[in-house]
Amino acid sequence: MKTKFRHTHILSLIFSILIIGFSTSLNAQTESEPERIYIKIEIKGMACPYCSFGMVQELKKVVGVGNVEIEFKEGLAFISTPMYQNPTKESLEKIITEAGFTVGEIEFSDKPFKRTKSKKKK
Amino acid sequence: MNKLILISLLVGYSMALFAQGPPITTETPIMLGLDGSGIRTFGKYISKKNTNIYVQPIGIPYNITPKFQVGGTFPFKFVTPNGAETTGGLSDIAIFTKYQLYKKDGTAKTFRVLAHIKQSFPTGKTSSLPMIGSGIYQTYVGLIIGKISSVIGIYGDFGYNITSNNASDNFLYNFSIGVPLLPQKYPQRQINTFLEFNGNYLIAPKEHTFLISPGLQFIPGRRILFETSFQVPIVQNNITTNKINYMILLGTRFLFN
Repeated sequence: MKTKFRHTHILSLIFSILIIGFSTSLNAQTESEPERIYIKIEIKGMACPYCSFGMVQELKKVVGVGNVEIEFKEGLAFISTPMYQNPTKESLEKIITEAGFTVGEIEFSDKPFKRTKSKKKK
Repeated sequence: MNKLILISLLVGYSMALFAQGPPITTETPIMLGLDGSGIRTFGKYISKKNTNIYVQPIGIPYNITPKFQVGGTFPFKFVTPNGAETTGGLSDIAIFTKYQLYKKDGTAKTFRVLAHIKQSFPTGKTSSLPMIGSGIYQTYVGLIIGKISSVIGIYGDFGYNITSNNASDNFLYNFSIGVPLLPQKYPQRQINTFLEFNGNYLIAPKEHTFLISPGLQFIPGRRILFETSFQVPIVQNNITTNKINYMILLGTRFLFN
């Protein structure tokens, strides 16, 4: 009886540890991957890939932006940033303009944009 | 006379120093981003009838705003007359400014016009023979024009160079067509080919030099490029002594930030 009780106790302890571990892991995942907002920026004047470097560097300075993906011939840049960063159209326009380009339309979405060709990571 | 021709040619070549991309011996109206933090240098070997010259300029531009750039050039020059020893050192340094006057951007294309002013100072040694510096102040005022798309780049620059000490003023002009040999994409791995023309017209006495300059440019990464150009004179009017045989340029550009 005593042994059975001890086994049950040990099992419940292991179970509790597993549950705590699992939930911690879930929390950690949630914390490392917050909801993101996806942004498509039309950039006019990107006439040579070499010229785009400075602008890409500036876009990467936006907090939370990891990759800047460029569709060169379409004149498009794709970025994503955590939702809580709340990047504004005006702040993005300022970055593009100060990099020496002309900004076109800027679209925000909670889902990744469809790409016209394979992704190129910066 | 030869001194004037050489000075004029050097001014012309050093004007092409600060391009943040193609072309090689012509100015570009592109001065985008990059915070202006880049360095360009090249070695140019000039073979003349009576002299061989090696020039190694270092150019450092800085963007004050996206429309306004300032910078300086620091050329080192080594002159070897036939049958004589080499004399070398720092030649005439220059400061310059570029200002964007007009810009029309489209998808993967742009048309831009810049004003360009450059001031050279007689810092090079003139006490030795051959002289390393020009011994005169020079003020260049010109325009840079370019229409660039993902399939072709057409560039031109021209301007008037005013000299001191009764030296001849001159009119400089350069023209370039650049075509990428690899598909244009980002990040870039580019090989670009250029056909360029470089002209220099001395006002008094009237002398005209016109060079054809095919070139090749390799961009292996985001921060560095390598380029080479071979220049041959096709016109050397009224130049009787020490004509140019040919010139070879081998250069690189680094970008920081």
